[in-house]
Amino acid sequence: MKNLRIVSLLFLILLVLILPFFFRSNQYGMILLTTILLYGVLATAWNIIGGMAGQLDLAAGAYLGLGAFTTGTLLLRFNLTPWIGIFVGGLVAVLFAILVGLPLFRFKVKEVWYALSSSALVEVLRIAFIMWEKIGGPVERYLPNYGSALYMRFSSYIPYYYIMVILLFASLFVNYWISRSKLGYYLIALGDDEDAAEVLGVNVRSSKLKALVIYAFIVGLTGGVYACIYGFIHPNFFSSPLSTEVAILGIVGGMGITYGPLVGAVLLVSMRELLRANLGGQLESLYLVIYSVVLILIVLFRPRGITTLLQDTFNKLFSRWVRNNHAE
Amino acid sequence: MQNNFILQVENITKKFGNLVAVNNVSLNVVQGEIVGLIGPNGAGKTTLFNVISGLFPPERGRVIFKGKDVTRVVPHVICKMGMSRTFQVTRAFASMSVEDAIRVGAYNRHTNKETLEIVNEVIQFCDLGKLRRRKCADLGLAALRRVELARALATEPDLLLLDEAGAGLNPSELGNLMDILKEVNREKGITLFVVEHVMQMVMGLCQRIFVLDAGELIATGAPEEISQNPRVIEAYLGKRAIR
Ligand SMILES: Nc1ncnc2c1ncn2[C@@H]1O[C@H](COP(=O)(O)OP(=O)(O)OP(=O)(O)O)[C@@H](O)[C@H]1O
Ligand SMILES: [Mg+2]
Repeated sequence: MKNLRIVSLLFLILLVLILPFFFRSNQYGMILLTTILLYGVLATAWNIIGGMAGQLDLAAGAYLGLGAFTTGTLLLRFNLTPWIGIFVGGLVAVLFAILVGLPLFRFKVKEVWYALSSSALVEVLRIAFIMWEKIGGPVERYLPNYGSALYMRFSSYIPYYYIMVILLFASLFVNYWISRSKLGYYLIALGDDEDAAEVLGVNVRSSKLKALVIYAFIVGLTGGVYACIYGFIHPNFFSSPLSTEVAILGIVGGMGITYGPLVGAVLLVSMRELLRANLGGQLESLYLVIYSVVLILIVLFRPRGITTLLQDTFNKLFSRWVRNNHAE
Repeated sequence: MQNNFILQVENITKKFGNLVAVNNVSLNVVQGEIVGLIGPNGAGKTTLFNVISGLFPPERGRVIFKGKDVTRVVPHVICKMGMSRTFQVTRAFASMSVEDAIRVGAYNRHTNKETLEIVNEVIQFCDLGKLRRRKCADLGLAALRRVELARALATEPDLLLLDEAGAGLNPSELGNLMDILKEVNREKGITLFVVEHVMQMVMGLCQRIFVLDAGELIATGAPEEISQNPRVIEAYLGKRAIR
């Protein structure tokens, strides 16, 4: 069983690595793949605060936007390469997360209240950056150095795809590592019952803050790359729909399962994009209706996420396979 | 600690709005003993436990644990100092397996590697071997109460507060639990402070009993004394029962 897992994991890694070769001449395909991975990274990072710690965070867009603006502004003003800028962006997102997390967790803001406050942050930042003419403002600020690898401004999607692959594996690894450490056990425990966790020695406040900070760093980092992919920065990067979608992917994929959100992202984002590509023209936003219906069906029939469905199916097939092979 | 008290509660008052849930209660628990806290419904027993374990800050009074004032100390720090508890309405970690839930407690004093050993030991001690991989959400009440006890034990406390650990258990489960608790006290030297409705359990387990009624401490003494104390009988059965 363990060997089989490792083999299928290696196969998956290989597949992800060679995928672009099938899409070399297909620009749309590469955009789709990169978008899927982008959401995969964000949802995987969300799993730390949302899936493990059970905090319904709706602020991915806030950290993404901060990462994007930091990276973009550093490039525009100081000609600092995004290869460094994205890490500064991650740190700025962390700083903001601490600023927000300290009071929220201090005053035990949780459940719907946490969801609402985190969601409000995104909109507050968006408006603040529209009004802050020096850095943001209502028009796009285009990034220079198009076509320069040194400035992470590639003219093809393939390098961005591989950057997303690296980010994805990094955030999967961080997830996996946390889930096997003290912090992971503490997060799942406090997600289930904060008081019960406290009396067992769990520092609920600082554990939540750690989760938020790690999540914010990964999202901020990704935000920097996001700016380079788009080639501009704009306050609409502080996007509420994106924030909500990240949480939805995490929930539908399966909360607290390391690769659950990734599965959610792969299935749902590709479905959404394909629906949009095929229906968008004739029946505007019909794809959104279908997308929502699918979401509702999943939540109704698989409240623990589609990943558990895949797991169950896999286990069933595997045990049948074992039985057949040991029958004689 | 010159006086051997592991826990001193001094003039604790806790109110919810106008309701005085605990009224000027003082009591001491001696290192190594098993003491009980009884009283009719709504007497304030759980509230007193919540104050002691740091979940509710009291309006007045002090809680002293191992000679240190812990009145406004947060629960996880109090746990590090050596106090843990269980809950009357079980509060399992629904999405965790039994062994993972116990491991949460084990992290209180141990690093990643060592926790495995502690978990195994506690699982054996509480006889949870068959259930170790089951999800807490799928367990019945008796098993849940044992898991709560187990994860609290895994924190390696010196004082354990048990809030109605016997409620809802059948006689054989109750006997089982009492055996485990006696062993906890004797072999691990853990001081037990138990809130209990089940009289059989209080009488069989405790060396001393405190009685709370409408937030006030009305009696203290050995089980036999308590069961004959007129004020206690009155509190439980009403005034007419005395005559
Ligand atoms: N969080 C709370 N908010 C408001 N009132 C509360 C709260 N907790 C307890 N009370 C009230 O305080 C009083 C004491 O309750 P408590 O739960 O401590 O009693 P108890 O002795 O544990 O009772 P029981 O035997 O039913 O468990 C009750 O009147 C209860 O309604
Ligand atoms: Mg109670």
